[in-house]
Amino acid sequence: MRVGVLGAGAVGTRAVRQLVASPNVEVVLVDPDGARAQRVATALGRQVSVAPTSAAMAGVRVVVLAQPAGHVAEATALIDRGVAVVSACDSPEDAAELLALDARAIGAGVPVVVGAGFSPGLSCLLARFASRSFDVVDEVYVAKHGTGGPACARQHHDSLAGTSLSWRVDGWLSRPAGSGRELCWFPEPVGGRDCYRAETAEPLLLHDAFPEATRIAARTSATRRDRLTSRLPMMRPPHAEGGLGAVRVELRGPRLGAREIEVLGAIDRPAIGAGAVAAVVALEVLAGAFPSGAYGLADPRLPTEHLLAELARRGVKAARFTGTGGM
Amino acid sequence: MKALRRALLALVAAGLVAAAMRLRGKGGVPPQSGGWRELVVNEPR
Repeated sequence: MRVGVLGAGAVGTRAVRQLVASPNVEVVLVDPDGARAQRVATALGRQVSVAPTSAAMAGVRVVVLAQPAGHVAEATALIDRGVAVVSACDSPEDAAELLALDARAIGAGVPVVVGAGFSPGLSCLLARFASRSFDVVDEVYVAKHGTGGPACARQHHDSLAGTSLSWRVDGWLSRPAGSGRELCWFPEPVGGRDCYRAETAEPLLLHDAFPEATRIAARTSATRRDRLTSRLPMMRPPHAEGGLGAVRVELRGPRLGAREIEVLGAIDRPAIGAGAVAAVVALEVLAGAFPSGAYGLADPRLPTEHLLAELARRGVKAARFTGTGGM
Repeated sequence: MKALRRALLALVAAGLVAAAMRLRGKGGVPPQSGGWRELVVNEPR
């Protein structure tokens, strides 16, 4: 089985590493920096080859898009060639445009998985998993902490300066990103972090998957300096790799007549978690477990439990908050 | 002297804006009991 990976950055490299750790998988890697792609291929073994462009990837049935934002043109070309797409995008523009490819993907008979990373991605899987225990999900709140590679750090920087979208009853609510401080508690050792509204892809993906929910919102952790400098160009080049990150998903709704709250979370380096999610999803797409169309990982038709179990086997483990008290 | 007054005024204004930004939003309460436990996923297949 051959899988294509576009982007040899922090997420793409981790996706390739996860893919070649699976039996009978070969990877074709494409990166604008051919020398970087070749270095990754050399480091990860003979199962990895390098191609100059995605059009030159022969015999590939699924492609992981792990390059910086701007996945739509590549995804459209792949769909038209009958190739499934797993996009690790985290920008709301990308997510909206990829979701709009639904009819095209159904026509081509291929899945287009939108936001197959750490957040969105693992966060959406956790939301779907948690939703199984509710009669109806009324409210979904997602928070994330940390960034992966340089592209993720730029996205985080920009997300605090844009417009945050949240779903409220029957329409989208626009609020300035960087506002609405809320102390969110992530699994240890990350713990409590100040989180703010941000321009993220999660509300779009979660509303697509939970149309019955009346409130959907996403926040991202930030420092005062992050917020202060978010409307300026980045003062210095972003880090090559961020530290420990976390996601936290809170669902509310009725369960057996009582109103309940479920809180799930996970910690990992975001790029490592994103690479694992993208690779596991790509393997399941190859196995035929994903229907055609464009959707995020909170889609109810997906084998959520199997995906989470496979991620746990690969070291990406989730946690549930048990107990009472304010969260 | 005029420059000093202006600098002090700017500092006070910045402090007020920072305080307003800090106070807006919810403080949250640390969890009072319980904690994070590893999620056990029962695979259906």
